[in-house]
Amino acid sequence: MTLAETAYCWTGIAETARWIREGRRSALALVEARLAVIEERDRGLNCFTRIMADRARREAAAIDAAVAAGRDPGPLAGVPFGVKDNYDVAGRVTLAGSIINRALAPAGADAVLIQRLTRAGAVLVGTQNMDELAYGFTTENAHYGATRNPLDTRRSAGGSSGGSGGAVAAGLCDFALGTDTNGSIRIPASFCGVFGLKPTFGRLPRSGTFPFVHDLDHLGLLARDSADLALVYDVVQGHDAGDPACADRPREPVSATLDEWFAGRAALLGGWFDDRADAQGRDAASLIARELGATGTIALPGAERARAAAFVLTAAAGGNLHFAALRTRAGDFDPATRDRLLAGALLPANAVLLAQRYRRAFYEEVMELFQHHDLLIAPATPCSATLLGQQTIQVAGRALPARPNLGLMTQPLSFAGLPIVAVPVRNGAMPIGVQLIAPPWREDIALRAAAHLERSGVVRAVEPAPC
Amino acid sequence: MQVTEEQLRGLARLADIEIAPGHVPGVIRNLEVLLDQAALLADAGLAAEVEPAAVFRP
Repeated sequence: MTLAETAYCWTGIAETARWIREGRRSALALVEARLAVIEERDRGLNCFTRIMADRARREAAAIDAAVAAGRDPGPLAGVPFGVKDNYDVAGRVTLAGSIINRALAPAGADAVLIQRLTRAGAVLVGTQNMDELAYGFTTENAHYGATRNPLDTRRSAGGSSGGSGGAVAAGLCDFALGTDTNGSIRIPASFCGVFGLKPTFGRLPRSGTFPFVHDLDHLGLLARDSADLALVYDVVQGHDAGDPACADRPREPVSATLDEWFAGRAALLGGWFDDRADAQGRDAASLIARELGATGTIALPGAERARAAAFVLTAAAGGNLHFAALRTRAGDFDPATRDRLLAGALLPANAVLLAQRYRRAFYEEVMELFQHHDLLIAPATPCSATLLGQQTIQVAGRALPARPNLGLMTQPLSFAGLPIVAVPVRNGAMPIGVQLIAPPWREDIALRAAAHLERSGVVRAVEPAPC
Repeated sequence: MQVTEEQLRGLARLADIEIAPGHVPGVIRNLEVLLDQAALLADAGLAAEVEPAAVFRP
């Protein structure tokens, strides 16, 4: 098999790793193929902030050596992946899309999730572009440039994990780790036509990542199908004491359950979610609701306030976290980030505490819905991928600023900490994502529903375009 | 909610942070949006026993 053939041979992560474990493919050859594609395509996309070719070759060679010696290199043997630029990588400063972070010391160790993936045989190929400090939804970074959507390079890849979504969609890596505070995995998944998983708040340890909003930050991943998501998710699960918000729960692997058809009680979220979706998003969510046998449309009346509370908490927490830099280096922030952070730093404590208390009340409202339903369905974004530089989007007949409002449908749900899989529906010129929302700690339900939809042909990722 | 430059300056003084003149319009615009969002919560009718949801595990 030639390098190019290897690069585009998307058989799924499990199969790729099996071939490598069985010695039928070389991990090093696969990594070289991915690096060649990155070299050729990323100049036009700007998904990567740093390509770590030496490390990738070293790790891949070690995998091949392990196979040759008869040792099992792990379930992700030789599978190339990337990480958002807010994950620690040993020896590298964690920039998080900021130039202010250049003053930080290099990370002493990889983030815990990278360590787990490396132990499972996966090979890190580089770090990926993001909105500055994860505060944005379009990955139009004033310092490191915009990431272009591989499906239409005039368009945004979404954000803030836009480099990760774009890289997976373009076939530059087999999966990627991202973070999601208010929608930053689900929005790139929607814009780029790939799958995204934001697990329950507290499921995956954030140890070794650069924070944004401690109360809302989730780690998660992007991949090309639900089986890939599940396999990687199974590897990265597990408690770590380095993250005080990480729940001390046993691992709950889901890969083995994906073959079961979804047979739960599904419902489409109306109200806030229906009103703020465009026709494509509504059609996509309805299509999925029909396929999953949804029994009707239900309202989540607190969604508007939940979004408001998440909006307030995000600005306040971000302003607090970066207060010292705002005082001394305000000119070194992206202006859009700076002004929001400064405003957040000046919010009255009353507003912040109201938001925190509303979170508790909203959680109870959401849990009441799950008394009667196992899965909720809603569009992921108000529209498909916006143009780079686009200032406004049309929402319910009004022109709203694009950058803060692309998270209208994602923010209320992550505010409640729910596990969500974003699945790509290809019902327009560009794909659009739909959120499959499960009760806390039931990632298995959302992933099983995603696998069901794939088998039914309702959702599928875009194919990487040949060079 | 409208925020005047004078109010912003007062808040910034209390918070002990200086805002460059060129940054003031953008900060005012964002603060107004945030206060409008916070106002949605003010009439949520939360019961006194509803506690904040912040993570703290002693």
